[in-house]
Amino acid sequence: MSNVQQETFDIIAKQAKIELDTIKPESTLKDLGIASLDAIEVIFDIEEHFNINLPNEDTDFDNGTVGQLVEAIERQLAQKTSE
Amino acid sequence: MRRIVITGMGAICALGHDAPSVWKAMTEGRPGIGPIHHIQPGQLRNGGIAAEVADYDPKNHFDDARAALLDPFSEYALIAANEAIRQSGIQFQGEASARTAVVIGTGAGGETTRDDLYERLYGEHQGRFHPLGIVRMMMNAPASQVSMVHGITGPAFVVASACASSNHAFAQAAMMIRSGMVDAAVVGGTEACITLGTLRAWEAMRVLAPDTCRPFSKGRRGLVLGEGAAMYVLETLESAQKRGAEIICELVGTGMSSDAGDIAAPSDIGAAAAMNMALRDGGLAPEDIDYINAHGTGTVANDSTETRAIHRVFGEHARELLVSSTKSMHGHALGAGGALELVAAIGAIHDGIVPPTINYLEPDPACDLDYVPNVARERRVNAAISNSFAFGGLNAVVAVRRMG
Repeated sequence: MSNVQQETFDIIAKQAKIELDTIKPESTLKDLGIASLDAIEVIFDIEEHFNINLPNEDTDFDNGTVGQLVEAIERQLAQKTSE
Repeated sequence: MRRIVITGMGAICALGHDAPSVWKAMTEGRPGIGPIHHIQPGQLRNGGIAAEVADYDPKNHFDDARAALLDPFSEYALIAANEAIRQSGIQFQGEASARTAVVIGTGAGGETTRDDLYERLYGEHQGRFHPLGIVRMMMNAPASQVSMVHGITGPAFVVASACASSNHAFAQAAMMIRSGMVDAAVVGGTEACITLGTLRAWEAMRVLAPDTCRPFSKGRRGLVLGEGAAMYVLETLESAQKRGAEIICELVGTGMSSDAGDIAAPSDIGAAAAMNMALRDGGLAPEDIDYINAHGTGTVANDSTETRAIHRVFGEHARELLVSSTKSMHGHALGAGGALELVAAIGAIHDGIVPPTINYLEPDPACDLDYVPNVARERRVNAAISNSFAFGGLNAVVAVRRMG
């Protein structure tokens, strides 16, 4: 598991108050029972932690998987490094 | 029970500076949403669009002494109230002054003033604040200004329920008139929320659309903020008849409910309860309603939830009536929303034209009603309701009817 994925899963587990090992790359936030403002708070915590901005397109809470979220975070981090 | 009629209407928003212009723009399906002028695009994350009041200079409306007291949210309220009172021809002299109420809905308050002061404090580290900051930004300022300018000495206050503020104001005013406490009310809503601070806070909630507002359409991506005000003169039927006033329509019922659920996610049960109460209060059957001016924010959640709520209340008649969201044109003016949208409901009754939901691309299976996509439609409308459902789960609905 990459560091980014590990840290992202930690943030999700903490915010949603769920066990870390229930989170799989293929889960959606909805599957994990994280809806509405809770999901938006998770994204906020991730943005603060990595100091990045995640566009709305990368935060589809209903259909987007946690794995895709990690990929989006890695994209933003790579972009930040190249700037 | 005392019957309540509307005898004056005033409005200002992205679609125009008076009620006839706003209504005409609605019937033409004219977009009021565009790039924000007074905030630099780089300061915003998400598209930088809103429905701003355009070509507006407060100097054309207020002398220097009055202007010094006014945040834009009070300016808009006064401009709309002046128009409504002028049209109504009502006078507030003698006892009539004390038997008139002012009730205004607003969600955010004097945001421009607040933003400017805090920019000085936190941004520029300036120690000195303008002494009129408080009287400009206080939530009750628009009600105070309307009462002062027009010499109305009855009960005056502001009600705040975010996006449902205007409709709660109508409900409050209607109750005061029915109870006999007052005989008339100047009532509506106002908002001037297109400030950097407010926009950044809305962006953070991830509900703002980056492209435009497409209520009930597939491909909708969120709401677009708007601003402005609409104000009305309500009075008893008896008072209007005695004055020989022209009656625009009857305000027959109001309904209010609270979801007591999620702080942000809407509820079809709560929304349906408010619609049902408005119908019951107005002595209307579901089949009496020809048009619903929807809350229709353009968020995925609101529009599908509101659609389910309409099915719940109207049953098979849901397929017969027309539903549209004029927020697609004037944006989501928060506390002014219900008041601006009543222009649409009244216009539909008056002119037999139902304004469209513009920016509509194609049907979403979760939104399966007739939303009058993109082009206005001719339809005789005898009775209409206007929905407002606020964050925090506060719902308020107003029912209006042709004066028979």
